[in-house]
Amino acid sequence: MICFVAVAIALLSACSGRPTSLPATFTEVADSACIYPDYRDVTIPPNIAPLNFMVVDDAADAFVADLGGLVCGAGSDGKMDIDTAAWRSLLTAQRGKDIEVRVYARRGQGWVRHPAFRLSVAEEPIDSFLSYRLIEPGYELYRQLGLYQRNLTNFTQTTIYENNRSYDNDENHCVNCHNYQNYDTERMLFHVRAAHGGTVVTNGREAHKIAIKHDSILAAGVYPSWHPTQPLVAFSTNKTGQVFHLLYPEKIEVLDTESDLILYDAERNQVSNILRSTDALETFPCWTPDGTRLYYCSAKMPELEGENTEALITSRFDSLLYDIYSMPFDLATRTFGEPRLEVDASSQGMSCSVPRISPDGHYLLYTYGRYGQFHIWHKSADLWVKPLSNDLAPYPLTAANSPDADSYHSWSSNGRWIVFSSRRDDGNFTRPYIAYFDRQGQARRAFLLPQRDPEYNQLLLKSFNVPELTRSAVRVTIEELNHVVRHTEAQVAAYK
Amino acid sequence: MSKQNRHQNHVIPGNQPGSHIPYFIVHNSYLITIFFLLSWAWASWWMGDVLRIAYERSFFATDVTLMHGLWQQSFGWLWFVGRALLTLYRWPLLGGLLVAVLLAAGAGLLGYCLRLSWRWRWVQFLPAAAWMFWTAHEGISLYYMHDAGRILIAPLLIAVISGLWAVVAKLTRRPAPAPGNSASGKVEWGGRRFPFALLFYSLFLLLLFIAPSLYLTHRHPYLRPLTRMEVQLLHHDYEGMSRTAHAHAELSYRQMAGFYAIALARTGHLADQLFDIKFDFEDIKGKSYFGTPNRCLDYHVVDCNYHAGLVRSALHYAILNLTSDGPSLHTLKYLTKIALIEGDWELARKYLRILGKAPFEGDFVRKYQPMVGHSELLKADAELSAVISSMPPVHVLENMYPKPCFLGYYAGQRFLGSKESQTWGAVACLYSKRMNDFLRFAQQYAGTMPPRSIAEGLVTQVSKYPELLKMFPQLNMEVNRYSLFLQEAEAYMQDPKGGSQALFQKYQGYYPYYYFFGNLPSKEQQEEQVQQEFNAGVN
Repeated sequence: MICFVAVAIALLSACSGRPTSLPATFTEVADSACIYPDYRDVTIPPNIAPLNFMVVDDAADAFVADLGGLVCGAGSDGKMDIDTAAWRSLLTAQRGKDIEVRVYARRGQGWVRHPAFRLSVAEEPIDSFLSYRLIEPGYELYRQLGLYQRNLTNFTQTTIYENNRSYDNDENHCVNCHNYQNYDTERMLFHVRAAHGGTVVTNGREAHKIAIKHDSILAAGVYPSWHPTQPLVAFSTNKTGQVFHLLYPEKIEVLDTESDLILYDAERNQVSNILRSTDALETFPCWTPDGTRLYYCSAKMPELEGENTEALITSRFDSLLYDIYSMPFDLATRTFGEPRLEVDASSQGMSCSVPRISPDGHYLLYTYGRYGQFHIWHKSADLWVKPLSNDLAPYPLTAANSPDADSYHSWSSNGRWIVFSSRRDDGNFTRPYIAYFDRQGQARRAFLLPQRDPEYNQLLLKSFNVPELTRSAVRVTIEELNHVVRHTEAQVAAYK
Repeated sequence: MSKQNRHQNHVIPGNQPGSHIPYFIVHNSYLITIFFLLSWAWASWWMGDVLRIAYERSFFATDVTLMHGLWQQSFGWLWFVGRALLTLYRWPLLGGLLVAVLLAAGAGLLGYCLRLSWRWRWVQFLPAAAWMFWTAHEGISLYYMHDAGRILIAPLLIAVISGLWAVVAKLTRRPAPAPGNSASGKVEWGGRRFPFALLFYSLFLLLLFIAPSLYLTHRHPYLRPLTRMEVQLLHHDYEGMSRTAHAHAELSYRQMAGFYAIALARTGHLADQLFDIKFDFEDIKGKSYFGTPNRCLDYHVVDCNYHAGLVRSALHYAILNLTSDGPSLHTLKYLTKIALIEGDWELARKYLRILGKAPFEGDFVRKYQPMVGHSELLKADAELSAVISSMPPVHVLENMYPKPCFLGYYAGQRFLGSKESQTWGAVACLYSKRMNDFLRFAQQYAGTMPPRSIAEGLVTQVSKYPELLKMFPQLNMEVNRYSLFLQEAEAYMQDPKGGSQALFQKYQGYYPYYYFFGNLPSKEQQEEQVQQEFNAGVN
């Protein structure tokens, strides 16, 4: 039986027509090879997993790629499965240099060779782990939804936490907003909504669930930012709603009808207000790397005439324009100073969101769009940068941006890489894109997170949400998180 | 059994001198053949549409990425096999053949294993009967909110287990006696001869199929007509859908009404035939994922929203279905068409790529693939162009309208769009008895002879707005009939439920009947709270 299976596999392999060497004769063609993902002329980390790709050419039945001497073949499906060990050696040898990639296709009249493209291997590595949420771009039900982490140096994806695998109304719960302290996984948190609600906070291999609710604060914590050194988390607290367009270029709006900022002390399980206002909507807090300032977004509350505030704000969804502010933070007294306007988008009829400071403190990275703060659903959303160490004006990261939504970005710990969610593939499912951020403050062309099967992203019916880079894998086990989420009560935070 | 008898029993009776009974009858194959043919008819004709729709609500491919979610579930591998078998229901005759083969093989092998005498041969059909009763009992829950891969697992297991048992039996047992035959080689049953046994088993087998069929009709009377209409919708047979609805006009289920409305919209009869069927809305007996009773209210929402031109709302619910159920052909096909209408070409390519991984969906892919990037081809497609022409004329937010959107939006829309959407609006108002809004939509017919339901709706408002007779002079013809109706209906005004029953036959299709006596929710339905929808996370 075993022999039969082995022979069958061998025959299948032989029949797949996967060439193993470069063709001796070929014809040069002028058109570039159509490959997915599009890895042409991108800059990649020296520790990234093999960039397996797929050549799309209906006229060809076999393909070969020459990646700087590493030869890889594909059958009629065009899928290049690059040998991991050879790839690793190649990147090590080419660190700081370029790799020329040539693709050959076997068509009816023989082999053709497409023009070469280039992979630039950066000197600086990327953090080894990327965590994200996988979820259908749906909004009210949750099944097989979870937080996962991917080892970027290979193709291993492990589950941090996953909800119910079959739909169960009693177990229907969402997990979101995972966040880490300073690229480390010692301290992390994520929220659980609906069933088993609360916020799960970890400390090494330990985890517990808290509930942030008090009459003095607006609502539970939402968008988090861990202080880089202290057991403190700045949260926005939002009353969030979703509306669906029946005829509009955007499909969905996610908007806040109220929002404030709060500070949570993870050691003392205490919460306090940072900003509590009725005339402004504050959201998306973010600490500077030294922990001395807190950046956040704020929009003026529109003047509303009528009682149904929620409906009124909803109907004016495109008039909510957010600017970015910052406030100094005194660690000794745990008090915040006066807000300072950092990016004035509203005066130009635009809006910005998700401020993230580079690890060296020199750049403010944010998304810039036509209105609102939930830019991941806005085609106009692009990544912009404001230099903080000089008076240069903000500018877009043109090479990394796309015509579709680009948002939910984060920095690598060395500040040389940014990873962000983009809907550029199909306008609907977000995918994690990685871009090199050079010393001149410019981003290079972004590339899609590589997968073992290059067709994976075309078949996956889930979105990658909130990509966050960390230096190490999450330490707390899935069993521990399952226990904490499903079988423990949330400890209510005290209000200070 | 004596040694002599044992010796005699394993002689093949049909070959014995003096035996009057053919070999294939004496051996189980006669019964099994009859059973096989009846199974095939039952599984392909009686249950064919039901299982065809189960196939549409399922998805099978061999790709690891696409099936990962299923594999992760408890017994996911088993449902995977079940879904694979169900794919043959792309053609119900073929699917039915598979079911018949599995059931007949299971029964025959079980009979072989148990060495049943004629008296006890009915026992071999019990597993198949149990499965048929189970399918009848489950009804729409065979596939709605449950994995359709479950459906064919039982016939498969019956056949496989019986087969394994038979192999073991064959290898281990001594020569089998010829069951049920007397020492003389004549088939006897209870002291009587073959004809009695034949008659008994013929009746038994008929009963075996009639009983679950009757049970299905009694427990889920909507299921076959509803799935018939769904299959007809797949084939764009709108006239057929209307015929099916008319043939079951007294079956009052909102899902059937929804599909009927789609058929009427496509055939241009929405404004004159909608009220030809009953609208009192009994509840479908479904089950939720966790086994509690479920009215399946959202079963038809994607279909109806889409065909009413509310493609974004259809998208919203299709994605919800994708989340709660995983991918299904039904959902993916709607997502494809919506992506095409929206001009989301890459998204359409993605869905078509996925559908192309399903074994028998090449026709769908070949039909819609050329439309990617070619909006002019969409307008040449009857279905897509009809949907496009019904789309809202200006920007509106779904949340501003009551659910389901195809009723809520059209009953409450503020903007008069295309003729199609105005017709939807007028009819939605008639349906929801929002007569002031109805009059707004009805103005488009001023000076002309309005469609039947519109005219009948207008006449109910004449006493309140006499000027309607000037705007619509043709209503004078309707006034007399309406007066006669009111005279007859007066006796039932305090007893609308009684009126609903008593007057339906006479006034079927007459809007004033619906206005006073139709679509009356039960007290339980009025009190029942709409299931809360969670809105706890965004992405």
